[in-house]
Amino acid sequence: MTVTTDLRMRPAPRLPRLRGVNLTGLLLPALLLALWQTATSLEWVPPVFLPSPAATAEASWTMLTRQNLHLDFLASISIVAQAFVYGSVAAVALGVAAGLSKRVEQFFGPTFDTIRHIPGIAWLPLIVLWLGIGAPAKVVVIAKSVFFPVFLNTLEGIRNAEKRHIELAEVLTLTRWQLIRRVLVPSAIPSIMVSLRYSAGLAWALVVVAEGLSGLEGIGFLIFRAQGLLLTDQLVVCMVIIGAVGFAIDRGMYLLQRHILRWKQGFEG
Amino acid sequence: MSNRGTLDIRNVAKTYEVEGRQVNALSGVNLHVAPGEFISIVGPSGCGKSTLLRLIIGLDTGYQGDILLDGHRITGTSLDRGIVFQDHRLLPWLTLEQNVALALENSRLSGAERKSTVTDHIELVGLSGFESAWPHQLSGGMAQRAAIARGLVGRPGILLLDEPLGALDALTRLRLQEELVRIWKAEGVTMILVTHDVDEAIYLSDRVVVMNSTPGRIVDEIAVDLPRPRDRAGAEFSAIKRRVLSLMGEYAEAA
Repeated sequence: MTVTTDLRMRPAPRLPRLRGVNLTGLLLPALLLALWQTATSLEWVPPVFLPSPAATAEASWTMLTRQNLHLDFLASISIVAQAFVYGSVAAVALGVAAGLSKRVEQFFGPTFDTIRHIPGIAWLPLIVLWLGIGAPAKVVVIAKSVFFPVFLNTLEGIRNAEKRHIELAEVLTLTRWQLIRRVLVPSAIPSIMVSLRYSAGLAWALVVVAEGLSGLEGIGFLIFRAQGLLLTDQLVVCMVIIGAVGFAIDRGMYLLQRHILRWKQGFEG
Repeated sequence: MSNRGTLDIRNVAKTYEVEGRQVNALSGVNLHVAPGEFISIVGPSGCGKSTLLRLIIGLDTGYQGDILLDGHRITGTSLDRGIVFQDHRLLPWLTLEQNVALALENSRLSGAERKSTVTDHIELVGLSGFESAWPHQLSGGMAQRAAIARGLVGRPGILLLDEPLGALDALTRLRLQEELVRIWKAEGVTMILVTHDVDEAIYLSDRVVVMNSTPGRIVDEIAVDLPRPRDRAGAEFSAIKRRVLSLMGEYAEAA
């Protein structure tokens, strides 16, 4: 065997693994952090517009110990959780109903397709007039934004059930209800899960916007207040939290999806 | 064995309308199947053999004539008839055990009886130990065995097999043919196998029904009076094979 083939045969060098966790994904964040540090130490940007990583960490400590950051955090999370649960439960229920019956679909279709195109944020001013600037208005608006992707994907998922599986249900003399529970809804689960993962991320992003537009608490409120007061370090703290929570939500949803769809064999990359 | 599983097909015809034209999928079909008999239906594609099976299982109830199972006209699907399709048709989101048990969803058995009969049938097809496997983890042959277990678990009088081994590799097919004979003997169930593998039909059945197309009809029935296990290379086997092939060939030429 020649030297060249020998080299080619050797497995590609791998990054160290930490208890089974691949560290490849941490490379870029480390690089960005280094760039941020460099930019602030060399004062490429004045500190008032870009605080150093250390100053940001310190600001987060101040916010947590003296300004009850965790209360704002909980306020935002609670809105997102409520909106996600209400929106997705209603969407799956109505999506299944519309998927099963053309008549239900035709009844809701035109109304939903119109409402769907008015962005949640455009609803906020009106709903705030009705419900005030507190959490309920935001829950309603975000639940609406969660609802549509899940509704449409549930409907589509039910409609994509395979004819041969429905035929099997007939051969096994399953009742309508058994057909729904054992065949139609499971067929729709993959597309429902995709939409749930998408809407969970969307809900978190929207709460920041909604809180920025109205209200006196929450991460979104803090970020706009920080801008007004030129507290750039606090602003960056909020951005980091938003990013980290968004990441955690998405990972959580991904793991949930993988667990629920463990019967499904797919392309693993 | 009991007298369950007597099938009487009397002068059955089935027409489809394709683009405004009437197509005779089946015409003048008569067949009597005795309890516990193993029948194979062979014929070129388009001869209506799968259509006939769909009528017997009850997925298609719009036909002329009578199909009687134990004296009752078939008007829809029922747990007294089981079927194994060419694709295993296991539901991917249920484990093997749950897939087999699905056939008992509407049976009158108690919970404990269900559990034990599911276990028995998984054992019958040689899949013990794979109860909690997902369908995608099974090989083609294993999935088809699971489908056979599902077809039999409700103890139907008759099991219909719609080219169940057609998608398998040659070696797995031979092995599953042996299994089918063993299962048939163990369960004493009437079996009707649709296949286009003439060897398979002769190897397995008491009688080979030869069909042909335009219109779909039965052209002949050939009894296979050979002791089991059969010798696929034996002289009598070859003679029967020649007869079946000539029946199919003769009509194919005429078409």
